[in-house]
Amino acid sequence: MKHMHKQTFGDHLFHFLNSVFFTLFTLLCVFPFYYLFINTISDNRLVGAGQINFLPQGIHLDNYLRVFNVPDMGQSLFITTARTLLGTVLMVLASGLVGYLVTQKNMYGRKIIYRFIIITMYFNAGLIPWFLNMTMLGLTNSFWGYIIPAVVQPFNIILTKTYIESIPGELEESAFIDGAGYLTVFSRIILPLSKPILATIAVFGAVGHWNSLMDSMILMLSEPKLYTLQHRLWIYLNTSSDIQKVMDQGRVTASDLSRLLNNRVISLTVAMVSIIPILLVYPFMQRYFQKGLMLGAVKG
Amino acid sequence: MLKRFPRDRVAMIALRVCIVVTFTAAFVPSVNPARVAGLINKNVSLFTNMISTASITSGFGRALNQGWVEPTTLGLIFIGALVCGLGIALLGAAFCLSLGNMKLQRLGLMFVLGAALAGFTGTTILRSAYSLLYDSPRVDMIQPMMPVGNMVFYILFSVTLLAAAAAWFVLPKPKPGEKYSIAPKYRLFLMILPFLVLVGLFAYLPLWGWRYAFFDYRPGFDLTMDDFVGFQWLRYLFENPATRRHIGKVLTNTLAMSGIGIATSWLPMVFAIFLSEMRSGSFKRSVQTLTTVPNFISWVLVYSVAFAIFSTEGFLNWMLVGIGVIEEGTNWLMSGSNIWLKMWAWGTWKGLGWGAIIYIAAISSIDQQLYEAATVDGAGRFKRMWHVTVPGLLSTYFVLLLLGIANILSNGLEQYLVFYNPRTAASIEVLDLFVYHLGLTRDGGNIPLATLIGVLKSVISVTLLFCANRASKWLRGESIV
Repeated sequence: MKHMHKQTFGDHLFHFLNSVFFTLFTLLCVFPFYYLFINTISDNRLVGAGQINFLPQGIHLDNYLRVFNVPDMGQSLFITTARTLLGTVLMVLASGLVGYLVTQKNMYGRKIIYRFIIITMYFNAGLIPWFLNMTMLGLTNSFWGYIIPAVVQPFNIILTKTYIESIPGELEESAFIDGAGYLTVFSRIILPLSKPILATIAVFGAVGHWNSLMDSMILMLSEPKLYTLQHRLWIYLNTSSDIQKVMDQGRVTASDLSRLLNNRVISLTVAMVSIIPILLVYPFMQRYFQKGLMLGAVKG
Repeated sequence: MLKRFPRDRVAMIALRVCIVVTFTAAFVPSVNPARVAGLINKNVSLFTNMISTASITSGFGRALNQGWVEPTTLGLIFIGALVCGLGIALLGAAFCLSLGNMKLQRLGLMFVLGAALAGFTGTTILRSAYSLLYDSPRVDMIQPMMPVGNMVFYILFSVTLLAAAAAWFVLPKPKPGEKYSIAPKYRLFLMILPFLVLVGLFAYLPLWGWRYAFFDYRPGFDLTMDDFVGFQWLRYLFENPATRRHIGKVLTNTLAMSGIGIATSWLPMVFAIFLSEMRSGSFKRSVQTLTTVPNFISWVLVYSVAFAIFSTEGFLNWMLVGIGVIEEGTNWLMSGSNIWLKMWAWGTWKGLGWGAIIYIAAISSIDQQLYEAATVDGAGRFKRMWHVTVPGLLSTYFVLLLLGIANILSNGLEQYLVFYNPRTAASIEVLDLFVYHLGLTRDGGNIPLATLIGVLKSVISVTLLFCANRASKWLRGESIV
């Protein structure tokens, strides 16, 4: 083994510096979330004074129990959950079905149809025409404004089409010989076999719905009941002093105020409430990233 | 000519065209047959009126309170819109049936008859609602009007009915015992049709809004040809000194921040290369997992993280005060200095780990024998990285770089919106944010100008993408889109 590389001092130094860099960068990515978290479970007076920095002190979960007393918080949590569930399910089913249909060689106008869908990835009418169009279709100030436009996404269609093309055709053919229709083949054969790619789409779709801010801000102007969680959080971060006033007048007593109410804590807790679901599903999502990204590199 | 296009096919094609035109008209606000009073929003189509009563009643709040108009009259308008809508739906069904065999096509023609009857009834109901509005004590406030769309729909339904009648006589009779069926190619087409409609509604129809860039449009007023101003807004963009200065500043911000992004776009590649040099597999995986987390949280949450750390009570101040650099904490988010770099730093914090994933995958597909051969030839660590790994990744890097250049005007909106405040305003306002402010939030808004800027931006982006694609074909022999 003459060519076997011997570990030199340079190698050790390289590994040391490399490890230090990656450890520091990873800490930089993780610490803010940890910091946010310990600030929401610690004694609120210490938090208010900026005294909680590395370790939680005076641990309590009151903030999480009381965050739902913040005006309209529960409502926006409900709206966001509803749109995430419904929007993701519809998006996944539509992506699967459209992806399957465009692989069917004997469809009328298949090539044109596929291009008609995919080309929309490359142009964009712009914000104002989009908004005016949504107004014209009556989707402003309506829950469906969140759901319907997101159902067909060209990028997802590329993903499902590419994936379904890789499924052996024999399965389908034997089902057709047994007299099954297109929809039966889709629901019994294609859908179960495409689980990995549909899971990828579901992950990205759900994160997109959960994190959405702009459509709530632009479309739901006069319907605060439909504001998403991110929109609420954004409002709190901007007007945290105003919330304090609202809460002063309302559901929270004065003694609570001194102990609990600190606009900093409210904002951080609301932020944490909307981060937690993502962190919870994150380990499950992780294995689908790579697949989705690699398939995405395949062009339509 | 007649041989190639048999009469029955011509008749069916004419019928389908009629149906598509009528169906589309239901989505066009200017021919809404249900707008029988000035108080009904003129920007909504028949479709909107028939799916929501609120779209009819919303303008009548005061009129209802004052008793100027009976609730039943408004109900009648809604019923009229619904019946028209039933006709439209039947037309849609007839279109689908017209793709079937002879027997099914004939059934489709019956549907057209039903649709026309519903359409006639619906428009008549709307006309009677219109005359009822004249009984109001305050006709001047209600502003009853005979919408041109009512006549348009009457005519559309009549023409469609005539086309169907003609088709009825020229279609060959179905053979006895024939069953209803649709050829597979049309069956597949019908299955995908609803999704095509969605794509049309949300990706193509907005392009129709580009016309606002050429009109003097004020929200709440009709868009008539009198307001047509041609390229006046384009001239305004260049001639008005204040606007020109503002746009200049916005473009500087946009190009500077995109430029910094493009100049550092090699960072994820380097991140991936150095990470793959780590020996411990579990260390690699943990770093990869944890550095990807920020990519999945929204910009609002990034802002709340920034708020937690950089606000007056935040971590940074605690640290700086602790080591004695500053006396008292300040709110760093309100500072307006080095915004471009700060925005770049947030973008990198959020996206670096994520951006590296694609390179990590690409590195794992590089042939290990290349490394062994390089080692045999006496290449050290850095030589192997430079001569084996980097060439293996350049193709991926190149595609992403070209896409980045094509997107040079689109920095996105959310990041800049959340960090926007009076102090940062001057150097954070990018084109997307400017359009948002101009069109949707500033007092009164300037919809035509905001639309025009959007149009210019789209045209430039598509051109750049096209050029990037060309460049890619020329350099690598492969297209990127």
